[in-house]
Amino acid sequence: MTAIRLRLNGSDIADEVPPRLSLADYLRERRNLTGTHLGCEHGVCGACTILVDGEPARACLMLAVGCDEREVETIEGFAGDPTMAALRDSFHRQHGLQCGFCTPGMLIAAHDLIRRGEAGSEHAIRAGLAGNICRCTGYTNIVAAIAEAAASLAGGPRDAE
Amino acid sequence: MPNDAWGIGASLLRREDERHLNGRGEFVSDIKLPGTMEVAFVRSPHAHARIRSIVKPSDAAGRVFTAADLPRIQPIRIVTQAAGAKSPSWTPLATDKVRYVGEAIAACIAPSRAEAEDLAAAVTVDFEVLDAVVDAPRDLRGSRHLVHESWGDNLYSERVFEGGDIEAAARAAAITVRREYRMRRQSGAPLEGRAVLAHRDHRLDEIVVYASTQTPHTVRVALGEFLGLDLRRLRVVAPDIGGGFGPKARLYPEEIILAALALELDHPLRWVEDRGEHLLTSAHTRDHHYRVTAYADGQGRILGVDAEIVVDAGAYGLWPQGPYQEAAMAARNLPGPYAIPHYRARAATVATNKAPLGPYRGVGRPGACFAIERTIDEVARAVGRDPVEVRMLNMVRPEQMPFTTVGGMRFDNGDYPQSVRLCAELLDLPAVRARQQRGEPDGRLIGIGFASFAEQTAHGAAEFVSRGASIVPGFESCTARILPDGSAVLMVGIQSHGQGLETTLSQIAHHELGIDPARIAVRHGDTESTAFGFGTFASRSMVMSGGAVARASRLLRDKLCQIGAHLLQCNVAEARCTDGVVRGPQGSVTIAEIARVAHLRMDGLPPGVDPLLDATATYEPAVGTGVFSYATHGAVVAVDPETGFVELLDFAVAEDCGTMVNPMIVEGQIRGGVVQGIGTALYEEIPYDERGQPLAGTLADYLLPGAAEMPAIKIGHLHTPATATEYGMKGMGEGGAVAPPAAIANAVRDALTALGNSGAEVNETPITPQRAMAAISKARGIGSA
Repeated sequence: MTAIRLRLNGSDIADEVPPRLSLADYLRERRNLTGTHLGCEHGVCGACTILVDGEPARACLMLAVGCDEREVETIEGFAGDPTMAALRDSFHRQHGLQCGFCTPGMLIAAHDLIRRGEAGSEHAIRAGLAGNICRCTGYTNIVAAIAEAAASLAGGPRDAE
Repeated sequence: MPNDAWGIGASLLRREDERHLNGRGEFVSDIKLPGTMEVAFVRSPHAHARIRSIVKPSDAAGRVFTAADLPRIQPIRIVTQAAGAKSPSWTPLATDKVRYVGEAIAACIAPSRAEAEDLAAAVTVDFEVLDAVVDAPRDLRGSRHLVHESWGDNLYSERVFEGGDIEAAARAAAITVRREYRMRRQSGAPLEGRAVLAHRDHRLDEIVVYASTQTPHTVRVALGEFLGLDLRRLRVVAPDIGGGFGPKARLYPEEIILAALALELDHPLRWVEDRGEHLLTSAHTRDHHYRVTAYADGQGRILGVDAEIVVDAGAYGLWPQGPYQEAAMAARNLPGPYAIPHYRARAATVATNKAPLGPYRGVGRPGACFAIERTIDEVARAVGRDPVEVRMLNMVRPEQMPFTTVGGMRFDNGDYPQSVRLCAELLDLPAVRARQQRGEPDGRLIGIGFASFAEQTAHGAAEFVSRGASIVPGFESCTARILPDGSAVLMVGIQSHGQGLETTLSQIAHHELGIDPARIAVRHGDTESTAFGFGTFASRSMVMSGGAVARASRLLRDKLCQIGAHLLQCNVAEARCTDGVVRGPQGSVTIAEIARVAHLRMDGLPPGVDPLLDATATYEPAVGTGVFSYATHGAVVAVDPETGFVELLDFAVAEDCGTMVNPMIVEGQIRGGVVQGIGTALYEEIPYDERGQPLAGTLADYLLPGAAEMPAIKIGHLHTPATATEYGMKGMGEGGAVAPPAAIANAVRDALTALGNSGAEVNETPITPQRAMAAISKARGIGSA
């Protein structure tokens, strides 16, 4: 067991973990943060995307011990975050999700695109989502939802539904 | 009846969304039961081998289970009525022989998955490796090697489908087109893999099995049969399902094994499939091979089609329907939406040392569509006409409806040629032709292609009986219950695996009862709380389950009117139930007030009327042979003649699924299906080598379509309500995935005509750069790869 300390969704946590425990398994099994989904466990599908020190990361490719002294944010966090609130609203209204399995990772990837100002065009959004697979929607509505959230946060007009 | 922002035809936003947007969905692997132990499987590394011995680690007592340790488990057996079909039995844990890479041999139990995998790695299996059967067209009759020794060949089944007189068509033909087509093996690859969590509930004396399945009720039936348990001792729960698309509509060995372990052990057990296991062991799909000969007159009117179809079905049949439906469905759908008079198809289903084949969005149809639609385009080229014209020339016309094809499909209604015109409009065909003429500055070649199909949906008993099916999924069920406060619950035998039935079924009940959909709960996926139903597959859910909801709601409506009339002191005939209220000639009473009487104040009930507002109904459409959605898909591509890379520039769907309950959800289903079809067309493949080793074990080898490669998909609707279903609905869940491979292959073919001579064609999916380059090189006379 290895001792770790991290800031998780705004709370300071001290814990002991086996050295080989993945961050995703730590969040899901030890912290009951099951919104971080595992679709491939080898870093391709993006369903486990979280923020580590504010940057998107694959929880399946990190070890829990690797987030010692770091700040981790999962889909269960983002309380009071206007960008995430706008994305949740636009994904709902644009039908940007079906089974919901990719959705948490997709939202966090989209949150990062908007934060970096990379959600300004359909092309940019599609390129920015290259690391997140959705098997249900065909992406059209996800792209529309992100564009709408980006526009609303920028104070621009919302796309008509 | 209300016609409003909530009812039939309204794009009501989904009630499923909130939990998923907040990371509060509940998939099987999210469910926590105290004391759960993890299961990892010892799986075969060989495609075909005899098991000489299995040696467990010395300290593994009670932690490693082979077939010998679980004698309660009976082999999985498919009962089929199809003539001449062979059905191998399948022991969920292999005993004497393994027949595909990934077949389960032993279950290993530990507190964590990592430790369970350590334990599995410590189990030693001594194999005598045998030669593998990997080439279905080559090995179907009698290879030197047999997947199942007692058979004498490798054929699950072989059937000939005939209509008209194919020899007469051959004699009359002005032109003959012969082609060979192949749609390679792929995975369904829902983003959530399979998962099972099982435990024994001593209080209720039952085994509870949480499973990521599309068919909880039939899985329960199977578990009862293969474990020798009364069904009253089995509860199966499918919670949120992270996509299914067909592969999860079958019983799997792991479900039986976990349930058997839960009977033996005093703690819950969980197995969560990883992606490698999914690509190895969850139902594979497609893997069709076609030889097609088309006979046509000088105008391109097809006189007859003669086809040989071979389906590589893998080592075993998946319960309940076995491996047979793929080839039969391909054969019956091969004539497409066309009035072809003469037809013959020989369809073989072949056993190989590969993972079992199962259903995946479209089942046999994407392959059949690929074969006939590529053929239509080649017939058009042979007579020097535009494929769009020849497609419409051969199509069943609206005035011919209802029309039974030479393949035996009974089309109900619709204007099929109009879907071709509409699709060409959506893509602006003249503009694409002009761009093609101009040429691209970067030297890429532009092509446009179309593919049409009619999709049998919501078929009832008649269809499944004619297939020789072992179970006949011809109905769905609903128990509708109004609670004492006037809110309602719909308990449905269907299962929703992401398509939004919690929303759309509440729209149906709202349409019938006027209750706000937000006050209607939809419960599905739990054998404890729902009447028997078959689950979600075959584009049946909205028509079948929606029909059952309509009928149950109407039973409640009648009772509401009876009680309401009594309370209003009027005749029942004068009472009408609208907008959540029963109205009489003078005054009205709310459903909530009636519900209170029906439960809490039975002294207010009319004489002879029982308390409760609770009705169960089943539904089968009036026509058992299905109602047919139809569509034309069109693709515009740019092909790089130096690399073979295909870029999809535009894609359009012109479709007709009758009455749309929720157009937003319909369009979501279409776009999702199309992108899966694009995956089949361009990316997804599980190749096997000569020894039967699968070569795609990760998502780095198995390519799923991503946002960056996909165009925005255009949709145009036609509206021809069905006459045999409630509200005129037709099923439409699968259609999106049917035509993209054919449309894209036709577009690539169109692009490659620019190479001169007869151009180049790619008649195999996925159209990888390698395959496209091989065709281009061949056309340029550089020799083929």
